[in-house]
Amino acid sequence: MALSRIDTTNMIEDVPQSKLDNNINFRNIIINGDMSIAQRGTSFPGLTNGNNSDYLVDRFNFSESGSESFVIDASQSTDVPSGQGFANSLKYLVDTADTSLDSLGGVALNYRFEGQMLQYLKKGTANAESLTLSFWFKSSLTGTYIAELYDKDNERTISKSYTVNTADTWEKKTVTFEGDTTGTFDNDTGRSMDLTFWFSAGSGYQSGTLQTSWGTTTTANRAVGQVDWSATVNNELYITGVQLEAGTTASDFEFLPVDVNLQRCQRYFYSNEVISNTTYWMDTYTSTTGYIVSLLSFPVTMRIRATMSYSGNWTSSNTTTSSPSFVAFSEQGYKMQARATNSARTFIYPDGAGTLTANAEL
Amino acid sequence: MIRNFTSVTKLYDMNNNVEAYVIVENSKTSFVPLDTANSDYQAILTWISEGNTVIDNPPE
Repeated sequence: MALSRIDTTNMIEDVPQSKLDNNINFRNIIINGDMSIAQRGTSFPGLTNGNNSDYLVDRFNFSESGSESFVIDASQSTDVPSGQGFANSLKYLVDTADTSLDSLGGVALNYRFEGQMLQYLKKGTANAESLTLSFWFKSSLTGTYIAELYDKDNERTISKSYTVNTADTWEKKTVTFEGDTTGTFDNDTGRSMDLTFWFSAGSGYQSGTLQTSWGTTTTANRAVGQVDWSATVNNELYITGVQLEAGTTASDFEFLPVDVNLQRCQRYFYSNEVISNTTYWMDTYTSTTGYIVSLLSFPVTMRIRATMSYSGNWTSSNTTTSSPSFVAFSEQGYKMQARATNSARTFIYPDGAGTLTANAEL
Repeated sequence: MIRNFTSVTKLYDMNNNVEAYVIVENSKTSFVPLDTANSDYQAILTWISEGNTVIDNPPE
């Protein structure tokens, strides 16, 4: 049988072309921008004076200033923009309104960046990258809102405004911050930059002209035009899909697998909620008095040596104290230790549910 | 802002060196390593500089 000739003329054209334009991995400098990871819980009621810097969903913290009387309830929500792929948002609700903010009073949502994560932005050089911020936002109060970048290493700021056009409706917002040719970020694990979403700002933050180009931080220019969202009880707002990327255009939100997203969050905070009274955390025989130590690893290398905390009670035998101590001996691990009182079997286990956390937040 | 610690206690290791501070704050106990990059450790240093006293019970 004679072989047929194969017509290759249109073969390449028949293969679907991959769409690679938006396919740069880890282009989003924000971790957990889809608000999906919430290791500290999903409800954060009663935020007011003294709660500045309290973390909410992972990597995002409540920000307040002044001696204010507002009370804000924050929570992880399932209210999301339809058809965009998001499962969660972060919600703020005004539980108690404050109609007379201090001059330097305010309510905001804050995100802090580690300096070594920002080096590729080439800040402080002639090749400094612009940054484009995109996010989905829904608020019961229309009007002007402010998003701000703060260079903590060099005390420099840039602010951009955006408008909520329709109340209680999801809208996608995009603003671009020009690159800054002044002031480099420290190349270390410290806090170098903040992103702040202002929701209310006192007159002291608004008495100047909005600083829409990078410059030395001037308080009066930081949030000019910001509406007073916290002045009306039951005002609410939602935010998700927060993405900050190099360049002047916003790409589609970069969804990461949940395990990857969690591991990225765990560099800054780790919560072990699997403590149960069925597991001995230490069980040994001591031939003398002295320390007994158990070394444990964090799931990922943390930013710094973390602060360790626990809730719940422990049961122990042959130890000087009922509860062990926990100390992060490095960024990779921590030790649980106690002191034995005699030569005997020595053990420790959690007496019921509890939580052990490691906090290395900025 | 000065943190309102209920107590701050030195924690010694098996070589009798201070290896951490034990803080009680809002009824929660935490162990803070001596790491200047740790914001809780920074807060303790500020708290001490304001004249507050650290509990020190070295092992015998």
